[in-house]
Amino acid sequence: MNERLISLRDLAWSAVNTPLSLVLTLLALIVFSQVGWAAGHWLVFQAVWPWQPADLCAIHSGICWPFLTEKLRFILFGTYPYDDHWRPALASFLMCALSVQTGLQMIDRGFRLNALQTLAVWGAVLLLAFVLMAGGVLGLERVDSVRWNGLPILLILSIAAIAMALPLGMFLALARAQSRFRALARMATAYIELTRAVPMLTVLFVGIFVLPLMLPPGVKISPVGATLVALIMFHASYFAEDLRGGLQSLHKGQDEAAKALGLPYWKRVGLILMPQAIQRSLPSLVNTIIGAYKDTSLVVVLGIHDLTATARMSFSDPGWRGYSLEAYFVVGLWFFVSCAFLSVIGRKLHRKAAIG
Amino acid sequence: MYTCRERSSSYVNFGNKLMTSLKVTALCATAALLVTGSTAVAGQVMDDIKSSDELVCLVNPKSPGFSVPDSQGVFQGFNTDFCRMAAAAILGDASKADIRGIGFSDSMKTIVAGGAHMASRSITATGTRDADAGMAFVATTFYDGQGFMVPSALGVSSASQLSGATVCAEDGSTTLLTLADWFGDHKIEYRVENIADKTARLEAFFSGKCDVYASDITALNSDRLLSDTPDAFTILPEVISAEPLTLVTQPDQDLEAAVFWAFQVMLNADKYDITSENIDAITADISAQPKAVRRMFAQDGATADMATKLGLPADWAYQVVKQVGSYGEVFDHHLGAETPFKLDRANSVNADFADGGLMYAYPIR
Repeated sequence: MNERLISLRDLAWSAVNTPLSLVLTLLALIVFSQVGWAAGHWLVFQAVWPWQPADLCAIHSGICWPFLTEKLRFILFGTYPYDDHWRPALASFLMCALSVQTGLQMIDRGFRLNALQTLAVWGAVLLLAFVLMAGGVLGLERVDSVRWNGLPILLILSIAAIAMALPLGMFLALARAQSRFRALARMATAYIELTRAVPMLTVLFVGIFVLPLMLPPGVKISPVGATLVALIMFHASYFAEDLRGGLQSLHKGQDEAAKALGLPYWKRVGLILMPQAIQRSLPSLVNTIIGAYKDTSLVVVLGIHDLTATARMSFSDPGWRGYSLEAYFVVGLWFFVSCAFLSVIGRKLHRKAAIG
Repeated sequence: MYTCRERSSSYVNFGNKLMTSLKVTALCATAALLVTGSTAVAGQVMDDIKSSDELVCLVNPKSPGFSVPDSQGVFQGFNTDFCRMAAAAILGDASKADIRGIGFSDSMKTIVAGGAHMASRSITATGTRDADAGMAFVATTFYDGQGFMVPSALGVSSASQLSGATVCAEDGSTTLLTLADWFGDHKIEYRVENIADKTARLEAFFSGKCDVYASDITALNSDRLLSDTPDAFTILPEVISAEPLTLVTQPDQDLEAAVFWAFQVMLNADKYDITSENIDAITADISAQPKAVRRMFAQDGATADMATKLGLPADWAYQVVKQVGSYGEVFDHHLGAETPFKLDRANSVNADFADGGLMYAYPIR
C-alpha cells in the first residue's frame, strides 16, 4: 500500500476515532507542546543573539550565542596553535567531503569513481589530513598529537578506524565462514569472540598500555596511533559478524554456480559472494558504523580530547562557566547531522538493494 | 606488566644517568683543574630542555582557575604560570613552555617515561610517590586540604555532627579514601554517593540529594559559587587531610634547583612587594633597594652567580618576575578577589609567612 494515498482527513480522524486514540493523541499533544515550548523558550524567546553583549547571558535563560561565537573555534580545534587553525579546518573539511562523496557515490550520486580511484582518493586524503595536522614538512610547523583536539581528531579516529576495520572485518568473516582451513576458521572465531566479549574501554586501555610493550624496542607509537589500532581491532570483529551473517544467508547455489564457471576463490568472493553479502548485511553494517562513530568519543578516557572533551573544556574557562548546555548543544547538533547523514545513506542503499 | 617494564627501563635510565653523571663529574674535575669554567655540570634533562629550546610541562586539561584553555586554546591559570616560570628561568622566555593538558595518572606516567620535563597540576606530594623512581617533588606551590560543604539550613557547625549523612564525592578519587579514614577514625556512620561527573555531582548536592559535599577546600570555595544561592551553603571548619600541591620534575639536580629557586624568587618578590609591573622601576634604581632585593636583581647579585653554576640566563630572576610575576600577583590574578573564585589569600595557609601563612621565602644569597 502506498502511504501517500492516506488523506490528511483520514489521518486526523484515525487520531480521535476511538477513546484510546483520543487519549493517546491528547497525551502526545501535551508532551509535544511542553517540549516545543521549552525549546522555543530556550532557542528563540530567551536567546541572547550573537550581536548582543555577553553580559545579557547572566539575565536571560536561553541559549547564549556570545559564548558560542567566543568558544566555537576552541570547541572545534581545542589547543591546536591558534594561528594554524586553517590546518585542522582544512583536514576536517577534506575528511568530511570525502565521507560525503563516498556516501553519495554509494547511492549513485556525486562523482562516480571506480574501486581503485576510490581507494587512491581515500589514501591521499587520509595522508594529507595527517600531514596537515602533524606538520614537520613543506614548511608547516610540527604540532604534537597532544594538540590534535576537537573535530579533526574525532574524524581521523572514526573515519580511519572504520575505513580500515571494514576490510579487516571482511577477511575475518571470510576466514570464519570457510571450512577448508579449520585452524584459520578457529583462530578467526577466537579473535572475534574475544574482542566482542570485552568492553570497548578495555580494548582501548589494552591499545594504549599493552600495545607499546609488544612493539620491538626503540619503536614508539603515539597515543593517537595506539588508539587507532585498538579501534580498528575492536570494530573489525563487529563488521566481521555483520558480514558473516550476509555470507551465510546466501544460497549455496551461488558459490557452486561460480565454481562451475571455473572462477578461483578470490574471484568468487570478490565478484559473487561479497557484493551480495554486503547488500544483505547493510542494515546491520550501517548500524555498526554509526555506533563506531559515536563510540569514538570514549577515547577521552585515554587523554585524547575529541569534540566532546573540548566542549567540556570550553565551559571550564572561569570567565565562561555554566554554559554547558550551549556547548553540548553544538556537539549534539554535529553528531545528529552526521549520524542522520549516515542513516539516510544507509536507508537509500537498502532501498536501492531491494529494487535492484 | 606495564609498571614492571616501566620500572626496569627507568632503572636502565638510572644506570645510564649514573654513568653519565660519573663521566660528567670526572669531566668537571678536569675542567676545574684547567680553570676553563664550563656549564657541563648541567644535568641531562636540563640539557634536553636547552637543546630543544622548549620545556614540556603537563597541566590538568580543565581545572578552572588552575589550568584551563582560553578561547585561543592557550592554557591559563595558577598552575600554568609555574610552567611559564620554569621556562622564563631556564630559557629566558615564558612562552617557550609547551603546556599540555593531560589526565592525572597519565601525567605521572609521562614524567616517569621521560615524555615531559615537569608537571604543574596540583599533584599532592606523598611519601610513596616520592619514593618511586622517575619523579621528583620540587616546590609546594599551594597548600590545600580536604573539607566539607553543607547547606546552611542543615544547622551543622562541625563535621562531627554529620552522623548518618549522605556525602557526595568524586568516584575513584583519593577524596573517598580520606573520607573513609576520617569517618572511620571518628566512628561516625555515613553514606557515600559516588558521582564521577562534576556537574552532576554538584547538581545532586545543590538539589539536596546529598547532605554533604566533600572535596578540597579550594574546590569547595569555587564550586559554591556555581550555585544560584552561594550563601545558602557553608564550608565546615574541619580540614581532614593535608594536600601539599607540589611541582613535579624529572629527576635532575640542576632542573630541580632551577625550578625550586625560581619559585623562591617569586616568593621573595612577593615579600618585597615586587611585581611584573614595578620590576623595571626597581631594577632602574637598584642601588636604593634593600640588600636582599639587590642580591636578587643586581647584575652582580647572588642570582648571577647561581646562573653560571646552574647554566641559566644571567638575568633569570628578573625574567621570572617580569614575565610571570610574584607569587601573590599570580595568585590574585587567577584565584583572587577579582576572579570568580574569590580566594582570600591573606587569611589562608597560602599567605606569606609574615602574615601567618606557610609561604616562607628562602634566602637568595
